[in-house]
Amino acid sequence: MTTVTGETPLQGNGPLGQPLDSREDPQLLRGEATYVGDINLPGTAHMAILGSLVAHAKILSIETKAAEQLPGVLKVATAADFTDVMPLPCIWIPGGVESHFPPHPYGLPGARPVLTGDAVRHVGDPIAVVVAETPRQAAAALAAISVEYEPLPVVTRADEALAEGAPQLHEAVPGNLNAYWTCGDKDRTDAAIAAAEVTVDLDLVNQRTINSPIEPRGAVGDYNAVTGEYTLYASTQGPHNHRFLLSALVLGIPFNKLRVIAPTVGGSFGTKGYLYPDMALVLLLSKALGRPVKWVDTRTGLMNSTVQGRDHRQHVTLAGTRDGRITAVRATSYANLGAYPSTIGPGVATALMGRSISGMYDIDAAFCEVYAAFTNTVSLGAQRGSGRAEAAFLMERLVDRYASEIGMDPAAVRRKNLVPKEKFPYDNGLGWTYDSGDYQLNFDRAIELSGYADMPARKTEARARGKRLGVGIASYVAICGVGPSTRMSQEGMLGGTWESANIRVHPTGEVTVTVGSASTGQSHGTVFAQVAADELGIDPAQVQVHEGDTQSAPYGQGTYGSRSYSMAAPAVALTARKIKSKLIRAGAVFLGVPEDKVVYEGGKVHEEGNEENAKTFAELAMAMWYGWGLPPEIEPALDETTHFDPPDFNYPFGTHVAVVEIDELTGETEVVAYTAVDDAGNIGNPKVVLGQIEGSIVHGLGQALMEAAEYDENGLLISRDLGHYALPRAIDAPFFSLDKTTTPSPHNPLGAKGAGEIATVPPAAAVVNAVVDALSDLGVQHIDMPVTPEKVWRRLRGESQ
Amino acid sequence: MDLSLNVNGRPEQFSAAPNELLVERLRDGLGLTGTKVGCDTGQCGSCVVRLDGRSVKSCLILTVSAAGSEVATIEGVTTPGGELSGLQEALRQEHGTQCGFCTPGMVMALGELVENTAADPEPPTEPEIREWLTGNLCRCTGYHSVVRGVQRACSAARAQETAEPATAAASGQEGSGR
Repeated sequence: MTTVTGETPLQGNGPLGQPLDSREDPQLLRGEATYVGDINLPGTAHMAILGSLVAHAKILSIETKAAEQLPGVLKVATAADFTDVMPLPCIWIPGGVESHFPPHPYGLPGARPVLTGDAVRHVGDPIAVVVAETPRQAAAALAAISVEYEPLPVVTRADEALAEGAPQLHEAVPGNLNAYWTCGDKDRTDAAIAAAEVTVDLDLVNQRTINSPIEPRGAVGDYNAVTGEYTLYASTQGPHNHRFLLSALVLGIPFNKLRVIAPTVGGSFGTKGYLYPDMALVLLLSKALGRPVKWVDTRTGLMNSTVQGRDHRQHVTLAGTRDGRITAVRATSYANLGAYPSTIGPGVATALMGRSISGMYDIDAAFCEVYAAFTNTVSLGAQRGSGRAEAAFLMERLVDRYASEIGMDPAAVRRKNLVPKEKFPYDNGLGWTYDSGDYQLNFDRAIELSGYADMPARKTEARARGKRLGVGIASYVAICGVGPSTRMSQEGMLGGTWESANIRVHPTGEVTVTVGSASTGQSHGTVFAQVAADELGIDPAQVQVHEGDTQSAPYGQGTYGSRSYSMAAPAVALTARKIKSKLIRAGAVFLGVPEDKVVYEGGKVHEEGNEENAKTFAELAMAMWYGWGLPPEIEPALDETTHFDPPDFNYPFGTHVAVVEIDELTGETEVVAYTAVDDAGNIGNPKVVLGQIEGSIVHGLGQALMEAAEYDENGLLISRDLGHYALPRAIDAPFFSLDKTTTPSPHNPLGAKGAGEIATVPPAAAVVNAVVDALSDLGVQHIDMPVTPEKVWRRLRGESQ
Repeated sequence: MDLSLNVNGRPEQFSAAPNELLVERLRDGLGLTGTKVGCDTGQCGSCVVRLDGRSVKSCLILTVSAAGSEVATIEGVTTPGGELSGLQEALRQEHGTQCGFCTPGMVMALGELVENTAADPEPPTEPEIREWLTGNLCRCTGYHSVVRGVQRACSAARAQETAEPATAAASGQEGSGR
C-alpha cells in the first residue's frame, strides 16, 4: 500500500491542483468505453496478418491460391499488391550523424514496406494479409498460405551485428550500422579519466522489454468511395501525427482526405505512437473491397510486431577523486534497433538516452557514444521512461560502484555531487539545459523518508531471519515537455512538436475545450477541464473536453514523453487567457467603463471598485453570442486557439530508495519498502498523478526483477505471450512511501513538468543497487536484470554471473 | 449446436460452433463488448465474467460448456438507472482505473471477493486482496489504487451489512472517507 506525505499541492483557490475525481472513470467502470476492438461498422470485413515464422530468410515464393478458396475469404494480398505504396518512414534521425537507412521516395529515410516481399528480417515480419467475413475465417486462411524461405544467418544482439562477418540485414546499410552518434566532449572526458585518482568500469545489459499495454493494437479502415475520404480508427496516442505520416508519406493521398480517430485507448506507454503496416493496410483494403476493414492484434502478434523497449549493451566508466567528487563519465552503448528503424526509434536510442547520462550530478566532463545497429528482432521504440531509464540505470549503477571502490556511503557520494541550486539553468554538457530544480531538498527528503540511517540495524535484524537486506538509491533527471519545435529539429525530428488547444464558449455559458493531444488513460478530460475552469473562474463541470479526432481537434503531436500536462495544458491555459482578455475588452463596452477599469475575477467582469456593475461568465457568453453593440474591432463570439511551442524542454527529477530482502535459501528478491520523492513542478490533479507514479514504479520494478524479451539463437521470441513474459501482478507491488518536492518549470505558464512516466526512470537502478548492496560481502559488484531468483541463488553459491 | 444461456438475467438462445469461446459469444454474438480480450492465453483477466456466481476467464471457456448457466457481465453490474455498484463507486473514488481496459475484468473478479466477504467479521486483508487480484493484469496503475478501492468497498459493504443485517447485498454506496 502507499502512504503519501506532504501537503496537498494546491496552487490556488481554484480547481487546479485539486484531487478531483476522474470524470472518465464511471464509463470505464461500467465497461461502456469504446476501444477499437469494440467498433463494428456495418459491413465490416476482418483482416489477419501473416507474420514470418523465421527470423531471417529470403522469400523464394508465396502461394496464396489455397487460402483464397477458403470459406469467407474476400482477399489475400502480398507485397506485389502494394507496389505503389511507399514504405513507412522513420522521422527521428539523430542530428549530426552519418546514418544509413533503406530509402524512401521522398528522400526521407524509409523504414519498412507495408508488406515484405524480398526477405523477412524478424519473426512476425508481415508477409501477407487475408480479409474475410469473420475474424476466425481470416485467421484460418493464414494457415493455408505457403511461403518458401531460403534461410539466412541470424543475429539478435547489437554488438554482434556490428562485428565482422555478421549477417547483413539491409543492402543499403553495410555492416548493419544505422547510426553512430555522440554527445559531450570526448577529449576532455578521456583526459579527465586518464588523470583521475579513481576510475571504475561496468559492463551493463539494459535488457529488451515489452511494453505490454493490456489492450493490443487495432485498426479499422473505412474508405468512402463517394467523397474519396479515408477514415482510420486506431489505438493511437498521436492521431494527428498518424494522419500526416500515413497520408503524405505512405499512401500519397491529400492530407485532408484522411481522418484519424483515436477511440478510448487501452494503454500505450510509448508503443502506440508508432506507424505500423496494419494502419495502412486496413485503409488500402477497405478501398479495394468497398467495405470497412477491421484488424485487432493478438497478444502474440503484439509481442512479435509492436515496438519493444530499452536494449542497450554498454561499457561505462566513471572517474573521480578519492574523497568522492565525480570528475567524468563516459559511456559506449550498442543499441539494438531491431530489423527496421521504427518511426522515432533511432532518436530514442541516442538523444533521449545519451544526453541524460550525467543525471542529477554536476560533472565537469561527460561523453556518450551510441552505435545503433539493425538485428533480426522486432523494431525498437519508446517505452515508459524511454532513454531516460537507460541513462539513469547506467549512471546510478556507476555511482554505487564508485562509492564502493572508495569506501564511501553511496548517499554521501550522491549528496556531494548534486547540481547546486544556484547553478540553474544548468548546462549538463551533453546537450540538455536543466530548467530548474532543488536537488538537495529532494534528495534529503527521500533519504530521510526512507529511514536510510536505520538500515545497518535493519540489515542485522534481517540476517537473523535468514534474509539479506540491501538498500539502493537512484536519482534521476528526465527530459520532458517535447517540445520546442526548433530544438527538436536540431535533434533530427521531422515534424513540429508543438501542441494546440481550442476553447469555444457556448451561448449558454458552457465551454468546450478541444486539444490535439490524445489520452491513453491519463484523464485528460478531467485535467484539461480543471485548467480551463481555473483560468476562467468557472466550475469544471461546465467544461467538456474533446480530443482524438483529427476532424475536430486542433493539431497536436499527442501523448508521449509525459508531455500532455506541460504542452497541451499550457495551450489550454493560454487560450483561456485569450478568452479572458477578449472579455475584458468587451466588458468595457457592456459595463460602460474604460478597459483599464475592467477587472476579470471569479468568473465575471466588473468595474474596478464597483462589484455591482458586473456581468457573469454566462451573461457574457450570451452577450458575445448575440454580438449586439460590439464595436467593429471586437468580433462576436468566443472561440480562440493557441499553438504552444515552449522555449525549451522541462526537467522533472527525483530520488527513489529501494529496500530489498533476499532469501538466503531460494535467492528470491522481495522489495520490502520503496520510497519515491519526485518533482514534477506544479501538478494539475494529484489524484491522477498519484496513480501514474504508482504505476510507473511498478513498471520499473518489472524490468528490474522479471521482465525480459528473450530471443533464442534462431531469432525466435521465446517470451511470446504473457505466460512466457512476466508482468508484475498485484502481489509484486510493494509498500510505497511517496512524497514530492515542487520546483515549477519556467518554460510554460503552468510551471508544469512531465509527470506521467517519470517514476519509471529510477526503479530498476534502485532495485539493482539494493540487490548488489545485499550481496556485496560476497564480492558481487553487478548483477544483470532481470534479477531472477536463479541468478541470485548462483551468486549466493559463489558462482560468477 | 443450439444452446441457451442466461446473460445478465436475460435468456439468450442461439446456435454456437463447438469451438466457440464464451468471450466470442458475449462480444461478437451478443454485442456485449464491455468484456475485453487482452491476451490469447488466459493470463490477463480482462475477459473475466461471472459464471453461476464464480468469476471465470471467458476466453478459456467454450460456449457449449457454459450452456444453461447464469452469466453475469460488466453490463449487468450497473443498476438499470445507471447507478454504480458499491465496488464501482469505491474504485471511482480511489481512481482505481486509468486506461480502463482491464477494469471490467477487475470489477467482475473483485465483485466476487467483496460479496463473499461482506458477512465476514473482518474485511479481507491487503495481502488477501492482492492474492485475489493476481489473475488480473493492469499495466497502468500498479494496482495500489485498485487495492484501495477494494478496501473502501469492503468497508462500505460491511457498514451496510451492520446497518441492514437482513440484506446480504454488497453494494454500499456510502464510502468511508480516506
